[in-house]
Amino acid sequence: MVTLTIDDKQVTVEKNATIFDAAKVAGVNIPILCHDKKLKPFGACRMCLVEVEQMKGRLIPACTTPVTEGMIVRSTTESVEKARKLVLELLMLNHPLDCPVCDKGGDCELQNLAYDHKVNVNRLSDEKFHHEIDYNNPLIERDQNRCVLCGKCVRICDEIVSRGALTFMNRGIETKIGTEFDGPLNCEFCGSCISVCPVGALLARPFKFKARFWALQKKSSVCGYCGTGCSLTLGVKDNKVLTTVYDENQGFHNGQLCVRGRFGYQFINSDKRLKSPLIRKNGELVEAGWDEALELVAARLKSAGTAAAALATPRMTNEELLLLKQLMIKEVGSPNIDHSAGYGHAALTAGLAKSFGVAAAPSTILDIQKSDLLLVVKSDAYETHPVVGFEINMAVKNKGVKLHILSDKRGKLGKLPGATVLVHAPGTEVTLLNAMAKVLIDENLASGAVAITGYTELCAGLAGFAPEQVADQCGVNAEAIRQMARDYAAADKALIVFPTGLAYPVQDAQVAHAVANLAILAGKLGKEGSGLLVLQEKNNSQGAVDVGFVPATGGLDARAILDGCVSGSIKTLLIAGENPLVSYPNQTNVREALQNVEFLVVADLFLTETAKQADVVLPVCSYAEKEGTFTATDRRVQKVQPVISPVAQSRPEFKMYGDLIRILGGQAPATPADAFVEIPAYAVLSYASLSTEGAFVPASVSSQLVLPKCSVSVVETGKLALLVGAALYHCGTLSQFGEGPLSVCPEGYLEISRSDAARMKIVDNDEVAVSTASGTVRLKARVSPRMSEGIVFSPYHFAGNPINQIWSGAAVTSVTISK
Amino acid sequence: MPNPFTPIMQGMKITLGHLFKKPITLQYPEERPKVAERFRGLHGLKVSHNRAKCVACYLCPTVCPAKCITVEAGEDANHDKFAAVYEIDMLRCIFCGYCVEACPVDALKMTGEFELANYRREDFVFTKERLLEKK
Repeated sequence: MVTLTIDDKQVTVEKNATIFDAAKVAGVNIPILCHDKKLKPFGACRMCLVEVEQMKGRLIPACTTPVTEGMIVRSTTESVEKARKLVLELLMLNHPLDCPVCDKGGDCELQNLAYDHKVNVNRLSDEKFHHEIDYNNPLIERDQNRCVLCGKCVRICDEIVSRGALTFMNRGIETKIGTEFDGPLNCEFCGSCISVCPVGALLARPFKFKARFWALQKKSSVCGYCGTGCSLTLGVKDNKVLTTVYDENQGFHNGQLCVRGRFGYQFINSDKRLKSPLIRKNGELVEAGWDEALELVAARLKSAGTAAAALATPRMTNEELLLLKQLMIKEVGSPNIDHSAGYGHAALTAGLAKSFGVAAAPSTILDIQKSDLLLVVKSDAYETHPVVGFEINMAVKNKGVKLHILSDKRGKLGKLPGATVLVHAPGTEVTLLNAMAKVLIDENLASGAVAITGYTELCAGLAGFAPEQVADQCGVNAEAIRQMARDYAAADKALIVFPTGLAYPVQDAQVAHAVANLAILAGKLGKEGSGLLVLQEKNNSQGAVDVGFVPATGGLDARAILDGCVSGSIKTLLIAGENPLVSYPNQTNVREALQNVEFLVVADLFLTETAKQADVVLPVCSYAEKEGTFTATDRRVQKVQPVISPVAQSRPEFKMYGDLIRILGGQAPATPADAFVEIPAYAVLSYASLSTEGAFVPASVSSQLVLPKCSVSVVETGKLALLVGAALYHCGTLSQFGEGPLSVCPEGYLEISRSDAARMKIVDNDEVAVSTASGTVRLKARVSPRMSEGIVFSPYHFAGNPINQIWSGAAVTSVTISK
Repeated sequence: MPNPFTPIMQGMKITLGHLFKKPITLQYPEERPKVAERFRGLHGLKVSHNRAKCVACYLCPTVCPAKCITVEAGEDANHDKFAAVYEIDMLRCIFCGYCVEACPVDALKMTGEFELANYRREDFVFTKERLLEKK
């Protein structure tokens, strides 16, 4: 620790702090344009100049100067003030000063500084810039004329996003922020650059001219897409969510968001939202009153009894899931409830529940940066959970954490410095993980685990899994497997990260066993920065498991429920927020089920493909309109409050299921707070003290070694292996209604390797037919260097190009591709 | 004791004096007042290059103490900002002139127009078309 004096205030800070950091601690405000707490010091703007007693004769930039013992800093002397004023005058010399039409007005740091320092005349004069404004993409507008060259956009894109889409170009007065070959911006459109821009050089186009910053109410909430559980601030005006507002002090991620979180909010106030309940009369869905709809639904659920079933989306709050569970099990008397197609939660409910004795992963996202080595199974961790990807980027680049990746395709994480990537044959991840476990056992790296239940069975079961025996099958070098296992065992703190969800059907539970085995064998559990982190697909996937929204004793799982609909044993099906026609595998089967079931109720925000088949459609609320808790992937329970009132006639599901319970003569908790205390898993938390940042519910692990089952999927000769997964821009099917993600990734596509593309003479954007015995889907081709030969990839989110017509849930599907 | 007729005479002097002065009252509406140059009457949106000068910066609705101005910005073909909606509710306006003072592009003025009576309440909401200055 170092003690220094800033403006006569004594302050003690860390040895590696800068004068700027120390001033913050001392409560001294030093003006600055080029600093963000997530980024490394840069010293571009020269606004933070201060006087230091020990370095008299020149002014010192506070943001790049480390503190030293006994330093005496003055930040408000006459010479400092004079220098800052000159800096501002120089910055404004070429600035267009078009504040009235600039969307940053009111939130602009240059504007604020000019006001604070009373820079209302300029002693200098020069020509303004005449850079062309970049309107080439639908999300980010770049107006270089307003730029002050602080370099924050360049640095955040490099240091945190690791995309490097922006950089300084040219020299001297000609300097500008440019893109590759000065062309249109070609990036992930996460908008991080917009969030840190101190002026109006980078603007969010979806929000352009919608409202002035000062007219917005800033309301804190939790992102409703993936399981990362990012806190976000919504900008609300006239009961409409108009934008997301950056707050560098928010959440573990310091306000950092991905494209879905930042630009995907438009679904909340979309014109496509359902306006009122709909009831099918004479074959048409017509508007109806809530009372009529609820009476009808209650009657049909009750009359079906055990032949009723419910499928819910893990985007509902914990309290809503609890009420729906109570409605089905207690009031209707049916044990048939499930979510995420019945397998999206298998990694927890079947995998970790057995391996760890608890259906939750023991580590948190915060462990990523505290680790020594990360083993990422599937490079998709970045695509499915981009903000976790940012954490991995920072861990590798700033903290020197080693990164090992096991994946069936290359991805962005693999490009990080020092990353070791093992690209294996599709569907062989369990085999590969087993081989690593075998190495740990054979090389006496698992000596601490001998006493753990299942050790001998596992040793016996892994007999045929020596790296040399499985290397060919996995398409990986045996020595590379050995080395990865040795590295993993050698690291003091090693964390395994793997994503789960609808897109990875059969394997999830087995992968969970396999990675749990590695962690147990190598003794990586119970340490900070070490262990296992399962990334779940939806914002409340962990909550749905914690609440127990899975088939009750004797109940059917999602697949059996749909089969029951086909066979007629399920009479009434309530689908709450899921869109199985698009997101579940085997569309033909799902369609048949929805057509055959006697009575179909769909509660959703939109008239989705599934809702169009329904007999009753109930309009419900998005996360911005309701109160309740969500549980993030690392068991972080976060509370949301309504930021706007319900859109049109929609109702929060909490009220809706409460009403249904009351119609059926039951007692429902009156408020979400009353429901929260009924969730046993969260007994340690108090509802009132929860915030959008959340509180952790630790998972206490009792380890057991379980031999994972390996199903070998062989690709038919002459055919290509189709992998299905998630796209970076989308999450589930909800993002189909968020205009931002849709504007940059509007339709399904097929990623194909360069060599396959060359062989079949396919170029980018060619429409190709992807066929199996069960059908054909037409998709646009994307020739991609990340795919290995013989493997193609397609995301599953798109209703317009439903890949589930040919994908039945297998890890690998053999397909033929023709132009 | 003062002369009791003196005050009466003084009063009559003033009264008779007015007989020979120009009358203060106007025979409105036949006669119309000439309002002062800085009179604050109905607002007018100034026009330049055949379009309203207003750039929809929202400063006037922000400063308006009566909250009577509604602005909605739009983006034109050149990606420039313009007022797609500009409305003033004259029933709420207190004619303080802060909007004119706040305008950074001198797009707004207050005219001498003071005859704002109307038969229907909705007619008191002046749309952009009604506010645009006529050439």
